Amino acid sequence: MASALTLSLKGALIVLALPGFVLLPRISHGAPMELRFVTWRSDSPWVWDRAIKDFEARNPGTKVVREVGPHSSTEFHDLVTQKLRNRDPQMDVFFMDVIWPAEFAAAGWALPLDDFFPAAERQKFLEAPILANRYRGRVYGVPVFIDAGLLYYRRDLLAKYGFLPPQTWPELVRQARKILAEEKEPQLTGYSGQFKQYEGLVCNMMEYILSNGGALWDERGLASALQLASSKEAVRFVRDQIIWGIAHRGVLAYQEPESLALFVQGRAVFHRNWPYAWEAANDPKRSRVAGRVGVAALPSFPGGKSVATLGGWQLGISRFSNQPRLAWKFIEFMTGSEMQKRIALFAGRAPTRKALYRDADILKKNPQFRSQFEAFTRAVPRPPVPVYIPLSNIMQRYFSSAISLPDSDIDRLAGVAARDMDRVLDLLKGK
Amino acid sequence: MFPSFLFIVIFSLVPIFESFRLSFYRMILTLPWLGQKFVGWQNYLDLLADPVARHSLATTVIFVCVTVPLEVLLGLAVALVINEPFRGRGLLRAVVLVPWAIPSTVASQMWRFIFNDRYGLFNYFLFGDRTELYLAPLADPQMALGAIMVADVWKTTPFAALIILAGLQAVPDEIYEAASVDGAGAWQKFRRITLPMIQPAILLAFLFRTIDALRVFDLVFVLTQGGPADSTNVLQFYGYKKSFAEGMVGAGSAVSVLVFFLALLFALLYIRVLGVRVLKAR
Repeated sequence: MASALTLSLKGALIVLALPGFVLLPRISHGAPMELRFVTWRSDSPWVWDRAIKDFEARNPGTKVVREVGPHSSTEFHDLVTQKLRNRDPQMDVFFMDVIWPAEFAAAGWALPLDDFFPAAERQKFLEAPILANRYRGRVYGVPVFIDAGLLYYRRDLLAKYGFLPPQTWPELVRQARKILAEEKEPQLTGYSGQFKQYEGLVCNMMEYILSNGGALWDERGLASALQLASSKEAVRFVRDQIIWGIAHRGVLAYQEPESLALFVQGRAVFHRNWPYAWEAANDPKRSRVAGRVGVAALPSFPGGKSVATLGGWQLGISRFSNQPRLAWKFIEFMTGSEMQKRIALFAGRAPTRKALYRDADILKKNPQFRSQFEAFTRAVPRPPVPVYIPLSNIMQRYFSSAISLPDSDIDRLAGVAARDMDRVLDLLKGK
Repeated sequence: MFPSFLFIVIFSLVPIFESFRLSFYRMILTLPWLGQKFVGWQNYLDLLADPVARHSLATTVIFVCVTVPLEVLLGLAVALVINEPFRGRGLLRAVVLVPWAIPSTVASQMWRFIFNDRYGLFNYFLFGDRTELYLAPLADPQMALGAIMVADVWKTTPFAALIILAGLQAVPDEIYEAASVDGAGAWQKFRRITLPMIQPAILLAFLFRTIDALRVFDLVFVLTQGGPADSTNVLQFYGYKKSFAEGMVGAGSAVSVLVFFLALLFALLYIRVLGVRVLKAR
């Protein structure tokens, strides 16, 4: 009886194991190791296509399987976090927006990279994006390219009226008013930026508030700072002088593409955008103002200093990946000097490695990087906390409500927003 | 029987109960050390106390009360037209359905272009070349919800029309012939025959449209993201942001449960009215 049972068990085992024996030799020889990479739809897809081909060529037996997600950061966040919540092992490497590392680290979704990415290597990168990738003393991502808010302007119009690029916001408004009054061109507006109720609104408003000595929140005390007089003053300035002063109301529905479109059509004197806009604004095929565009650091308020919001994308490894070593190899390749140079040359993206700002080829192709380097080194990350998204939603609501109507009650709105933010920040105080 | 029962259990009941259960917990995905803590009705109390949630409930109710009657009324008009026999009726019926057949996100993108403040068709129709008058409907807190309503009415009127058309086709021609013999005019026929006969269909259109409008999401997602100044932050979008973007699973589930009960309430209300009518008709 017993032996019969053992026998049938053995038989069952053999039957079960048979496919494995058949498959095993194939796995160890022919079948490639698959690395799953979740990325977004790029403006210059061929640069990434080639990068992946090169990585595969240099690592025989490796195949990179790409899943291409939506372009918008918010929607891409939904995709990646959904996979992470489901502990999906089908994702090894993914892109992170600069505001996510803290969240992904706290949730236990991103793998700490300290062993792979030692301090000596980190020193070769710009400081701000590395800071944005750190959470509680560990590092969770490697920045691929950096973004920072910049001021684009019509060089021809400023020269015509003898203006230099404005150093302060009030100066910018004065210049725009003068130009609008003299040009008498009904299609022309003074300013275009991103003022729709979405993440970009926080980036824009942060630049005004911080350059007036204000803050979004106090990172030590974990309390909102929207009620500071300097913060409210900056918001009031945006409402009265920018939106209801020199811009037109449509900017309240604009994200980056719409605001850039206005500028490249020659319908805005000043334009706030990320570094990629340089390429578009100077491309005669896409821009009516090609060759007549200047770029400078964003203005500040008198007595304050210029602040650019830090943006950009990093690569991280999923904690649920079965092959973190291979994943790291891929990240090392994608963020290495060679690849960053290629991305700078062919996708116009600003590198995160400091040494590349002295690279002759890159500076020849992107001379604007020379003057932008200053802004990149000073770029300020949005404070890294795991509850950034709820805080951002509260701020978006506040900023949009404050600037969308000319007679908004900023004091009351700031009070409500500060209370809501404090409630979210209190969640962090337990630990 | 059993397979369909199983289907309902797995795809309908289980998620509903899971939402219920989660709505009684505090669970924040990005703060895992807080754990999953039972908090009783706290999420619901927070929801009721949150002015943002109350505002978004009001926005949703206004949206339903404006769009649904409009859709059913226009749907009735369209159904009456395409029920008449004329050359090219088949083609017209197909054309009428187009807005409903276009995927929501595609249609929403289209409306985003239409409402653009610089080159949108909406402005062109209103003001032509006088660009200085051009409006920015999606940038104006007083207009944005209206713009979304217009897009929704355009998109779902065909659905109402389809249901009402089905009702119209069930009305036997003999009744109209008899009425003609008795000397009834067109208005009398409509008022005394058509309307009572298609009342169940109209109520059904109301029911479906109300439940759907309570859950409006895609238009808001593509057109405004809830802005400007939160003026289009409908309940479903509010709940989506809580659960998916912010990772506040408990609070987000409470919103889902609220929407579920609102829809259920309307459904029961309509079915009561509908059921009575149908019974009376028998």
